[in-house]
Amino acid sequence: MTMRSSVRDAMLAAVPSLRAFAISLSGNVDRADDLVQETLLRAMANIDSFQPGTNMSAWLFTILRNLFRSEYRKRRREVEDTDGSYAESLKSHPEQHSRVEFQEFRVALAKLPPDQREALILVGASGFSYEEAASICECAVGTIKSRVNRARTRLAELLSIDGADDFGPDHTTRAILSAGGRG
Amino acid sequence: MQTHAAIRRAGGRLSREDQRRLGDILQRVYDDVVRQGVPDRFRNLLGELDGERRESGAAQAAAPGEAEARHTPEPDRFVAAKGLPHDKGSN
Repeated sequence: MTMRSSVRDAMLAAVPSLRAFAISLSGNVDRADDLVQETLLRAMANIDSFQPGTNMSAWLFTILRNLFRSEYRKRRREVEDTDGSYAESLKSHPEQHSRVEFQEFRVALAKLPPDQREALILVGASGFSYEEAASICECAVGTIKSRVNRARTRLAELLSIDGADDFGPDHTTRAILSAGGRG
Repeated sequence: MQTHAAIRRAGGRLSREDQRRLGDILQRVYDDVVRQGVPDRFRNLLGELDGERRESGAAQAAAPGEAEARHTPEPDRFVAAKGLPHDKGSN
């Protein structure tokens, strides 16, 4: 049975976004790339269960998310990896890809509960609709909406956006926020 | 449209402006990775797997586990869209 090149191309096209999702989830490029690799292997091995014409990207995201959650549970049992220590590890080992100006944001993102983080990323960065995100996370659309809202609120608190009448971020955050247009 | 303060009082919600700014940062952090494109590692992986499938025409070329998985009528638990079993206690 030959894998149609269109299928392979669709997988390739999804890789950059899959990596970004995996890095956002795991906070670690090496782990993320391993997750992406495992996702692609499983997808290839089970390509017959992919429905042609449906969203390849969403299918791959679903697989990657399942793999990550399984691994995450395992790790939690092995090491009590609290959100705090995870965030600290991000600080002490900044990833190559990550520009310094993003570091504070990444650390804040890492402090979100996993459910909220993934919902926010899927909807806010990967470009999935609430319905698609709900399908990937296997929950109700309303649950995704509420997770996204809570994630935003919590992020704002962590980045000191919340609070005063005027915008109150102090150091790096202000730089990030005002850096706006620069790409 | 509610005011900034009213939104906060109502439910700890962020103003649209704050949401937009947060969204912008998130998108930029994410796109920073997306712009890196497809690392060779994955391009090669998919190319190899594709070649193996074409050559073998059957399930011989891949690792035994993979070959079995390919012929398993039901997708494995990670691929199934129904999620992980809740009572998966040990791994």
